[in-house]
Amino acid sequence: MNADIDLKQTEPLLGLRGISKHFAGVRALDRVDLDVRAGELHVLFGENGAGKSTLINVVSGTFPPDEGTFRFGGEEIRHLTPQRARAIGISPVFQEFSLVPSLTVEENLFLGREVSRGGVLRAREMRQRAQALIDELGFDLDPSWRVDDLSRAHQQMAEIAKALLGRVRLLILDEPTASLTERETGRLFELIARLKSQNVGLIYVSHRMREIRALADRVTVLRDGRHIRTVDAAASTDGELVELMTGRKIDLLFPAIAHKPDKVMVDVENLTLADGSVHDVNFYAQAGEITGIAGLVGCGKSELVRAIYGLAPITSGVVRIDGLPYEFPAPRRSLKHGIAYFPANRIAEGLALSRPIRENASMTGLDLPAFARFGVLRQAAERTAIGRIMAQLQLRPPDIERPAGALSGGNRQKVMLGRALTRELTVFLFDEPSVGIDVGAKLEVYEFMKRLVEAGAAVIVVSSELPEVLALSNRLYVMHNGRIAAELKGAAKTEQNVLASFFRDHLAAEVA
Amino acid sequence: MSDLELSVDAKDTRSARPAPIKWLWHAILPIALVLLLLGFAAVDRRVLSPANLLNIAQQTSYLALFAMAQSVVILTRGFDLALGPAVSMVSVGTALAMASATAAGHDTTTVLLAGLGAGFGLGIACGLFNGVVIATLGVNPFVATLGSYNIAIGVATTLSAGRPVQGVPDLFSRIFYGGSIFGVPATIVITVAVGVVLHLVLARTVFGRSLYIIGTNPRAATVAGLPVKRILALTYVLCSTLAALGAIMMTARTGSGEPNLGGALSLQAIAGAVVGGTSLAGGRGGVGTAVLGALFVTILSNGMNLTRIDGYVQMIVLGAIVIIGVLLDRLRQERSQ
Amino acid sequence: MSTTLAVAHPRTPIGLGRSIAGRIGFLPALLVAVIAGMSAVDPKFYGLINILNILRNASFLAIVACGQALVIVAGGFDLSVGAVVALASVVTAKTMATAAAAFPGNTTLIIASGVAVGLGCGLVVGLINGVCVAKLKVSGFVVTLGTMSATSGVGLMITSGIPVYGMPESFVKGFGRAQVFGLPTAVYVALAVIVVMMFAQRRTLFGRYVYAIGGNVDAAVVSGVSIQRHIVGTYVVSSVLAALTGILLTAQVGSGQASFGGDRMMLQSIAAAVIGGVSLRGGVGRVEIVAISALFLTILGNALNLLHIDSRLQPVFLGVIMVAAVALDELSRRRKSRV
Repeated sequence: MNADIDLKQTEPLLGLRGISKHFAGVRALDRVDLDVRAGELHVLFGENGAGKSTLINVVSGTFPPDEGTFRFGGEEIRHLTPQRARAIGISPVFQEFSLVPSLTVEENLFLGREVSRGGVLRAREMRQRAQALIDELGFDLDPSWRVDDLSRAHQQMAEIAKALLGRVRLLILDEPTASLTERETGRLFELIARLKSQNVGLIYVSHRMREIRALADRVTVLRDGRHIRTVDAAASTDGELVELMTGRKIDLLFPAIAHKPDKVMVDVENLTLADGSVHDVNFYAQAGEITGIAGLVGCGKSELVRAIYGLAPITSGVVRIDGLPYEFPAPRRSLKHGIAYFPANRIAEGLALSRPIRENASMTGLDLPAFARFGVLRQAAERTAIGRIMAQLQLRPPDIERPAGALSGGNRQKVMLGRALTRELTVFLFDEPSVGIDVGAKLEVYEFMKRLVEAGAAVIVVSSELPEVLALSNRLYVMHNGRIAAELKGAAKTEQNVLASFFRDHLAAEVA
Repeated sequence: MSDLELSVDAKDTRSARPAPIKWLWHAILPIALVLLLLGFAAVDRRVLSPANLLNIAQQTSYLALFAMAQSVVILTRGFDLALGPAVSMVSVGTALAMASATAAGHDTTTVLLAGLGAGFGLGIACGLFNGVVIATLGVNPFVATLGSYNIAIGVATTLSAGRPVQGVPDLFSRIFYGGSIFGVPATIVITVAVGVVLHLVLARTVFGRSLYIIGTNPRAATVAGLPVKRILALTYVLCSTLAALGAIMMTARTGSGEPNLGGALSLQAIAGAVVGGTSLAGGRGGVGTAVLGALFVTILSNGMNLTRIDGYVQMIVLGAIVIIGVLLDRLRQERSQ
Repeated sequence: MSTTLAVAHPRTPIGLGRSIAGRIGFLPALLVAVIAGMSAVDPKFYGLINILNILRNASFLAIVACGQALVIVAGGFDLSVGAVVALASVVTAKTMATAAAAFPGNTTLIIASGVAVGLGCGLVVGLINGVCVAKLKVSGFVVTLGTMSATSGVGLMITSGIPVYGMPESFVKGFGRAQVFGLPTAVYVALAVIVVMMFAQRRTLFGRYVYAIGGNVDAAVVSGVSIQRHIVGTYVVSSVLAALTGILLTAQVGSGQASFGGDRMMLQSIAAAVIGGVSLRGGVGRVEIVAISALFLTILGNALNLLHIDSRLQPVFLGVIMVAAVALDELSRRRKSRV
């Protein structure tokens, strides 16, 4: 009898055992275990591509695991769908919002579980419940606003409110503070405390040490799709967590790069973007060095390099390339000016997956006489050139006629890198260069950058992975809320200082 | 690290599918074609007579031209609904230009040049309109070409006052319809020549390569610095120019400018392209698929005509074939993933 | 107005140039301009016969366009509506003629069977469209292209292209050509359809889910909306409304004809939807505005006739207006996304 009660108490709310998940060419999760207790906040900690988002997608029923057992509330769960997950009390809040832009906040809150009778909606009741929920959460949000008129922060609030409508036993938050202000973050933390006291379990994905310190009961560290260790938050230091996450001595992985800063190749003055993601930014990058840009998700670092390449419209400010003003940037003209951009999302923006590797690699060079004369392709020359380039980059297997879609993440990035070798370039913009690729391929990408810089190119690396930008860059800019928060070099270029420049901003906001 | 990399590679090789099944998927249509011919021949021997086969080839040459035109835009995830009305418009314009040039007393060469100039001019104008509206203004190709569909119908019927335009010189018909090279009718020669050139353009030029890349992933094409807007606009011009050529050939056959010549051609051309295996999702298809599809549609209607199947039943069959064709394409895509 | 909003909610950028809001103001203005201009130019325009004629034709178009709008809001297309109008017309007439021969005198039964079979045709075509699109995942454009061809074929096969007569007098004179309070019956049917559709769009689960599916299908899936059932629903509604129009046309003309509807009706219904602010990207559009746009298109056609503009040139106007409407929408959207 007693033992029975004990069992019930010790059985966690969520129990995953040996969960694995494969995607085309990539093992995203490899026999991962995870326990979340009722009333506990459990942080998932890991680099980009460590498997955190795959794991929370499995928990919320977006896709089924290939193997492993899934227990929730003491029952074995099979064939979980998003609907069923919500029905049993698992509520996810994703970074990619699950909101319908053309509907109002209230319509989104109730989407899929409208209050209705005989197919007819009961609008007043839903309005009241939505208002009551938003009041309870203390959000500055009007249920009648249309979602596509909302700022990102407001959309985040709507998304959280949506997750909390109805009975919730396990709440999943994926970097929820990425787009919230300090005050809204404070509200969220109060809410989390209240939910914990109501015995709700929470899975919380975050990179931010400060949040982990403030909220976490336990931390599970994932690396390369594997469960590394679960530790008590109170009993571990920041250093230990970071070491578990990276799993290596930093100097061992990153190549030693001989930076020789030369003339200024990219000079940006008072740059402001049309979508408001970048305000009044000044920065420069020199030939012969790697310039890093660090910052949290949504801080505008990616938009900054996209604007230089011509993918985000500029409202004011000047971009100079090699000392000359570069007005109205566009990808085609950027390439002619010697600027290359490597997108973070290689599936959406990089590759034509069903086309051969050869065509994907030569895509940026089709205007060159090496690949085409008078608009007619020189197929033999193309085959030789791309074959040589891909051999140099150690494409495995070395067949350049296979579709790009058949490649693993690392090999896909190599195809992107191969493009850079098809033409004369002087400025290289890398946007999250190691997202979604395995450790070995990362090292090859870093070696590639090293060769570029040592040959005198200007390389700009934008990354959310602090160890990466810290180790690679010669000078490091830190961006926060669309502005440059700090420029760090030499001995000042430390993780502490980067984090401090976020906090300075936070503290300023708290004081104000 | 190394074992992860290995497992990834093992997965890569596994995903490459055995060749025979792939081959079978590609061979479905030719096999269906042969079965179709044999089936009709069982009902009526005349189907396989040399005269009828030549007839089929000649009929196919028009539809193949239009299906090729349509395929070029479908490759970029587009559509040209205005193709049929553009054919009517070009037919009327060509006939009118030649009739008035004859009336003004010009010599035959001038008359022919005037006709061709007017025809291709109207075709290119229509293509430019579509291209600019779609590529520059970003209007959905369906609506843009539905708009030009209406405009072209209006222009064609207004110019012709709704009646056939007479006064097409005999020489014109003799060249573009009656003519032959080594006994091969001019229509077939022209279509084959266009098909070969278009195939080379698609396979061997920067323009052709860009079409496939834009159709497969337009975002990636932009990021890679391809001139996406210019190529898209050019694609619609090419489509309309090919349609104009077909219209000129059909005008030569009828001997007059016909305001209703295009009629159901937009849809038939889409049917031909799609049945042949051009993917509406973009990036897949080419001259071969367009010609095969056109051949299939033509043989089907030719056989049904000869076996005296009601014209209205033929419409039902064509409708069903289009849906089945796309369904097969989707299954084929699913299997290859 | 906008400033007070901005003051009240400083962190919320209210889209000033939201295309649909702009269009609601723009379409009635255009409508009034055409009406005022025509009334000044030609007194025949506001003659009773002409007005009734406009209203009747606008009703036919509005009913079809409402269904088309629903399909487009969900992210699809229905090219088969014109063919369904024709099929419903001939099938209704044929059924009534047959029933009249079998049960002479029983007018209620004759009319009921005709209408039921006519609407049933719409239901069947709609189900085929919907199932092919939702379950077999074939592009809606191609499916309805196919059913358009097949449906016209069936219509022509039944009639061999000859009008079908033999319907009860009470159906034609008592319903189709009748007037209630001075307005043709078709107008009341259209108003009823519009009101029901407005209610469905605003107040029912079906309407809400159609918006959600068209607006962001992934969000709808994650939120537990059953996608397939509602997509089938939009195609069924569209086809049944097209069949209803076919029956109304048959009652008015007095014969079932395979030449009713056709490409012209299909194109006009898409034009009405698009000009009425239904976004081809899905998720946006209100039937009442679509109905106003159907009225506008009908009046425009009527005005061009009265102005003795060659009827052959009229499609040019339709085409230009349609492209302009979508181009404006696209440009305002582009401007908004940059703000």
